[in-house]
Amino acid sequence: MRLLGKLTWAAIPWNQPIPLIAGAAVIVVILMVLAWVIVRGHLPYLWREWITSVDHKRIGVMYTLLGLAMLLRGFIDAIMMRSQQALAFRAPGYLPPEHFDQVFSAHGTIMIFFAAMPLMIGLMNFAVPLQLGVRDVAFPTLNSTSFWLTATGALLVNISLVIGEFARTGWLPYPPLSETTYLPGVGVDYYIWSLQISGVGTLLTGINFVTTILKIRAPGMSYLRMPMFCWTALAANLLIIAAFPVLTATLAMLALDRYLGFHFFTNSGGGNMMMFINLIWAWGHPEVYILVLPAFGIFSEVISTFSGKPLFGYRSMVAATLFICLVSFMVWLHHFFTMGAGGDVNAVFGIATSIIAVGTGVKIYNWMFTMYGGRIRYATPMLWAVGFMVTFIIGGMTGVLLAVPPADFQLHNSLFLVAHFHNVIIGGVLFGAFAGITYWFPKAFGFKLHEGWGKAAFWFAIVGFYVTFVPLYVAGILGMTRRLQHYDVAEWRPWVLAAGVGIIVLFVSMVCQIIQLVVSIRHRDALRDETGDPWNGRSLEWATASPPPAFNFAVLPNVQGGEPYWHVKQHAVAAGQLAAEPDYQPIEMPRNSPTGFITAFFTTITGFSLIWHIWWMVGLGIAAAYGVFVWFAWRDIAEYEIPVEEVARLDRERRRARQEWLDAHAREIA
Amino acid sequence: MSTTDAVVDTRRGVDPYKIGRGGYGGGGRATGHGEGGPASKSVIVGYGFWLFLLSDIVLFSCLFAAHAVQRNATAGGPTGPELFDPSSIALETTALLLSSFTCGMAAVATGVRNQLWTQIFLLITGLFGAAFLVLEARDFTAMIERGASPQVSGYWSSFFAVVGCHGLHVTAGLLWLGTMIAQIYVKGFRPNILRRILCFNLFWHVLDIIWVALFTIVYLIGEGR
Amino acid sequence: MTDHGDSDDVIPGLIETGPYSVWEKVEVYVLGLVLAALLTIAAFYVVHTHLIWGPAIPMALAVLAIAQIGVHLVFFLHITTAPDNTNNVLALAFGVLIVTLIIGGSLWIMGHLDDRLMLMGQVVGQSTR
Repeated sequence: MRLLGKLTWAAIPWNQPIPLIAGAAVIVVILMVLAWVIVRGHLPYLWREWITSVDHKRIGVMYTLLGLAMLLRGFIDAIMMRSQQALAFRAPGYLPPEHFDQVFSAHGTIMIFFAAMPLMIGLMNFAVPLQLGVRDVAFPTLNSTSFWLTATGALLVNISLVIGEFARTGWLPYPPLSETTYLPGVGVDYYIWSLQISGVGTLLTGINFVTTILKIRAPGMSYLRMPMFCWTALAANLLIIAAFPVLTATLAMLALDRYLGFHFFTNSGGGNMMMFINLIWAWGHPEVYILVLPAFGIFSEVISTFSGKPLFGYRSMVAATLFICLVSFMVWLHHFFTMGAGGDVNAVFGIATSIIAVGTGVKIYNWMFTMYGGRIRYATPMLWAVGFMVTFIIGGMTGVLLAVPPADFQLHNSLFLVAHFHNVIIGGVLFGAFAGITYWFPKAFGFKLHEGWGKAAFWFAIVGFYVTFVPLYVAGILGMTRRLQHYDVAEWRPWVLAAGVGIIVLFVSMVCQIIQLVVSIRHRDALRDETGDPWNGRSLEWATASPPPAFNFAVLPNVQGGEPYWHVKQHAVAAGQLAAEPDYQPIEMPRNSPTGFITAFFTTITGFSLIWHIWWMVGLGIAAAYGVFVWFAWRDIAEYEIPVEEVARLDRERRRARQEWLDAHAREIA
Repeated sequence: MSTTDAVVDTRRGVDPYKIGRGGYGGGGRATGHGEGGPASKSVIVGYGFWLFLLSDIVLFSCLFAAHAVQRNATAGGPTGPELFDPSSIALETTALLLSSFTCGMAAVATGVRNQLWTQIFLLITGLFGAAFLVLEARDFTAMIERGASPQVSGYWSSFFAVVGCHGLHVTAGLLWLGTMIAQIYVKGFRPNILRRILCFNLFWHVLDIIWVALFTIVYLIGEGR
Repeated sequence: MTDHGDSDDVIPGLIETGPYSVWEKVEVYVLGLVLAALLTIAAFYVVHTHLIWGPAIPMALAVLAIAQIGVHLVFFLHITTAPDNTNNVLALAFGVLIVTLIIGGSLWIMGHLDDRLMLMGQVVGQSTR
């Protein structure tokens, strides 16, 4: 047994210029940023206020940043894929097949697990406790651990770029290709351990949020008085609890096959390859609803706020959400209609898939009726929302088309399928993320994002999306399969080229987003959110200052009905002044803790050594992670107290800002 | 742990299901309407851990599903019933069931804050758990020696995975138990320690529930066929 | 995090607080132990004797197992139908639903796949080796 297992200098891609240069560039940038942080003395602040933070708002921001960074990396993979295909008509292109395979695998894995999930989880982290009128989630330190474990997973996937290789199986590692017989390298192992580790983090998030939403709400906030985003967050997190163990179990079985020669999914010895596909999609389908349900919730908030009306049909929305949550666990076979289960099985799942669309249909109608008769303001979040409604309807319709097994036999694994799922994920999840980020950014940072660049980003995004993916629908119908490194059918060429143009438009959109951020930071004083309620909001998060103090609310609000903040605001506007100052008390808040970060550090070591078969390091990593956990469990003081003077000072500032606004706008309102 | 968490007394005939009170959607303290504000820490921790255990049960169900699918996948090699030792399985079942009982006894002792009896019962729980593991390890070794290793066929892979996963959970539980015994000794019955004891109780009982499913499905139904 | 609040929820797994003596609480566990032991013995008995008609044995075992799991839930975990236990029961029901879908769904799907594989003289799940 060698000291470093399978790890040798040959693991670094010396003879592959693209990953070598890309990796080197990223490492240089990271080192420069680290150097700047340390030299400028920001490290203690970062450690104290962010890395060891157990505050849901900070964790939410970090999740969102991770998601945006990984969105960038995944988008670069997408550019590589589109450009390769644009060039590779009766030509080899510039990406050799074994590299192209890793690119599309990394693209999917990163986008789903490290871009979309963190973006949604980040927004839920930030907004849900504020909307519920409480101080934090149920398990704050666990929350921090969840984030750092997710970051560990992202780190491992990115390390695979420069040390070793990534999986070449696509974003789901179907056996027997993923078994050691055909892929004995470290690629699939990077995939497995990165997802097992971040999967634990996500499961813990699910537990955290279901407990929070069901057990920790402001007094008087019954279930039917919760904001819609909290309902969809509840449904999504219930699905996380139900589905992620399936992912963990299935990848564990694959790992047992690869590491210990078990026969779960092997080609021989009683293995059943189709069982992998069955189990992985039993996770995979709920996963996409985990992604889209929070987005639906964001749109409910945005549409009602920017239409100036309460959400239409609240109770039917709740019912639709729970319906989607339940049925999403009954449709998973539609991902493998062609695997040979027979007409009756296919029919049942096909019908169930069509039925689940009804839930979303109810939601779309409710959003439309919310807008109808309202005074609509087309701020950037509202643009994303309307763009979503149009785009998601189309994507959903192609989904219902694919739900018909005979049609799916033609279209399975074609670019039509690829276009469908990008249609719903981009139109739903990504637009939802951008809407949510733009909507809650002022709450998190105290100043709005620049409207002009935001609108530009939106228009380039929506145009770019259609220009990229509508041609792929056509190419799919014309028979082009997915994941082709090169092709020679002339009929497909114009569509592939058109998609290549579309990706450039999307690239411009991305540039607009970056410019928007830079410009907004530069002009933050002009864009300042003075009162904490920049959009004339309706739910409780807008009752706090921007950014809120650590304790969120000086006194937990007493909720009397739905849309509690709206009613409080109307009273204040009518009276021309705020309600009486509350009776301030000292507030106990959970202490920051390095546990999450340190556990994740040792988990990274464990994961890396599992991948490279460095067994002694595996043992060390596990022991260290366990040791950190015990050390944390031994602490005596879990909370600190914020003195009543501090609480009063912060809250009086907030009240003063709002009273100023009331005074300034008295004549307009009257 | 606050023993003043008021629990509705169902014995005294008071309206426990709040049938005669409150209107729709605004029933005051009615069950399930959740208007009382944030729950107490013990409720939060207990519920969260209960959710975790349910997720663990889902994990086991996947391993069960795999074993059920591969119930005949012996690839011409040895089958389960050939190699199962019914008396050993009966002993393991007894050990685990008794350990669940002593764990409950420890919970009762905790309820009256009796350090001595809590520790005694927790220790006995651990001993029964260790006995279970020793018996199971012996079984595994015997089966592997007789040619039934997980590398032999899909049947044995899934068998060792599902039974082994349970054994790993028992092992982790014993590690946790050891830590708990130390913590109770050093820190006494503080609120956070009480919450952890509660979680351990939940965990240990659920492990026995999974064992019931295990010995029924894996061992007995296999033999029955 | 305040320590008061919605008093209508009970902690899962907590034996009811209230005016119950230590011996009353011990009784609950003893009863659970006795019932569980009887059900276990019955299960082993069913397999090793001819009391039950052969093809019905799996069903009998399933019934005994479900009964014993119920005993564990009620006597050891104190999951009851009391109104303060609603959240805990709902969570359990959700878990049971998911387990049923996964195991039942997998068996149904994989069984169909095997049926339609139509290998000559092949038994479910066995490889061609």
